[in-house]
Amino acid sequence: MSAILQIHNLALGYPTLTLFRQLSFSIEPGTTVAVLGANGSGKSTFIKLLLGLVSPLSGELHWPRGRPAEIGYLAQMAEFDRRFPIRVRDLVSMGAWQRFDLWSGLNRSKRCRVGAALEDAGIQALADRPLHTLSGGQLQRALFARVMVQDSPLILLDEPFDGVDQSTEEHLLSIIQRWRSEGRAVVMVVHDLSSVLDHCNKVLLLGNGEATYGTVESVLTADRLVAQGYFSVSQAAWMLSGPEVKPVNGGV
Amino acid sequence: MSSFAFMQRAFVATTVLSFSVAPVGAFLVLRRLSLAGEAMAHAITPGIVIGFALAGLSVTSLLVGGLIAGVGVAALASLLARRTILRSDASLASLYLIALALGIFLLSAAGSAVPLQSFLFGSILGIDDPSLILLGSVATVTLVSFAVLLRPLIISTCDPVFFESQTRRPWLVEQGFMLLLVLNLLAAFKTLGTLMAVGLMILPATAARYWAHTITGQLWLGLVFALSSCWVGLTLSFLFPETPSGPAIVLVAGCLFLVSVLLGPLGFGSQIYSPSRGEGGNVPQGAAGGRM
Repeated sequence: MSAILQIHNLALGYPTLTLFRQLSFSIEPGTTVAVLGANGSGKSTFIKLLLGLVSPLSGELHWPRGRPAEIGYLAQMAEFDRRFPIRVRDLVSMGAWQRFDLWSGLNRSKRCRVGAALEDAGIQALADRPLHTLSGGQLQRALFARVMVQDSPLILLDEPFDGVDQSTEEHLLSIIQRWRSEGRAVVMVVHDLSSVLDHCNKVLLLGNGEATYGTVESVLTADRLVAQGYFSVSQAAWMLSGPEVKPVNGGV
Repeated sequence: MSSFAFMQRAFVATTVLSFSVAPVGAFLVLRRLSLAGEAMAHAITPGIVIGFALAGLSVTSLLVGGLIAGVGVAALASLLARRTILRSDASLASLYLIALALGIFLLSAAGSAVPLQSFLFGSILGIDDPSLILLGSVATVTLVSFAVLLRPLIISTCDPVFFESQTRRPWLVEQGFMLLLVLNLLAAFKTLGTLMAVGLMILPATAARYWAHTITGQLWLGLVFALSSCWVGLTLSFLFPETPSGPAIVLVAGCLFLVSVLLGPLGFGSQIYSPSRGEGGNVPQGAAGGRM
């Protein structure tokens, strides 16, 4: 199966600061990539690069199947206006925005897709609620439903579990697992290592000017996590003395 | 009152103006650009004064001078915000203050030739045919543009990062909206003057914000409030001849705003409608609604 995206000799950063260089890897269908790194290591910038919102310093992105017409995207919650006067159903419908006719609304099949997404996200009962009455977890479920409506082979999630409770995180992780089983590629910025170990099969570790890509076992070693500034030496020592780092759902 | 031709023209002009400025005002408020709208109203001043000095107080001079000044300031403010350390509010504030000072300087230099009263408060009761045509044209351009831009505007206002990720030219919506803002400021300037031009945009929109849970409700209520302000304000200025019509219209809009603050379900009125607070907010269901 051909890759969705191939990255060749990528260097990313700003005119005065190089975040990392010489990154090459491919994203295959059904892959879930965790993007890890300390603050300022370039995680969100990398996501924006995949979206085409920033340009690389050098290197190139190659889309063997052509760039998807839409890329599923969930931005950080902080960048969202929660007071905007709109209902949950309309927020979810935004996922089909590019397929709207100029003058008409959603047709029957798109309305069905929106309804199914609301149900899958567990917020069907909230469909007609104004956005500002939702809790943080409910809003994140609505944004996941919007990604479902986008129906893209590549999904980018920037800190999807930020500020959500444990049960909501479990539900959202089950949705990500389903996307993976459907052959979609998911790239997500996360901070919590446990969600990486349980639900991702590839890791991109950023930090200290380096980028390392590989399987969970090959990348998440104590030495590398310290070298790339993700852990301090004492945190790494605690990690080594704790339970063995072992992915649950395969490290293929 | 309706037998006077000048009142008939004033009612037609403000009705057309309300249809035009209400949606622009709604998105100014939702995009957190309310004060930027006020700044832009002052930023067009030097263009209008220069246009007046060169070609008299005609619709063409107003339109050309005001458009050049408004679009110039908006574009320069956007450039400074993108390429320098200043944020957009600070860059716009700096430029509009320069433009306003330049406008007042030019106004003083032009001396008594400029009808200052008309410049500051508009001349809604003396509106002529070319001005009515300007209002009608601006309203047509605005409503047609909104029909095309409404969905992108909603998405770019609610979730700007998502919108940027889904379109190749996100700046088109922002710049298109700023152009509509300048056009509507020029139309409002002719009727309400430079001091009151933004009043009819912002106050009905902020009043509607206290009632509407959806963008459809926000747009319709903003229009109803704008129309009510114009009709009641004009009637008051007819009944009390010493009352200037522009400020009367904006004062009525201000009263609607205060009533909305006190009674609106998204204002202090939430305590009337719903004594117990619901999850994540203090807002009852069932206020003005609609769908995207």
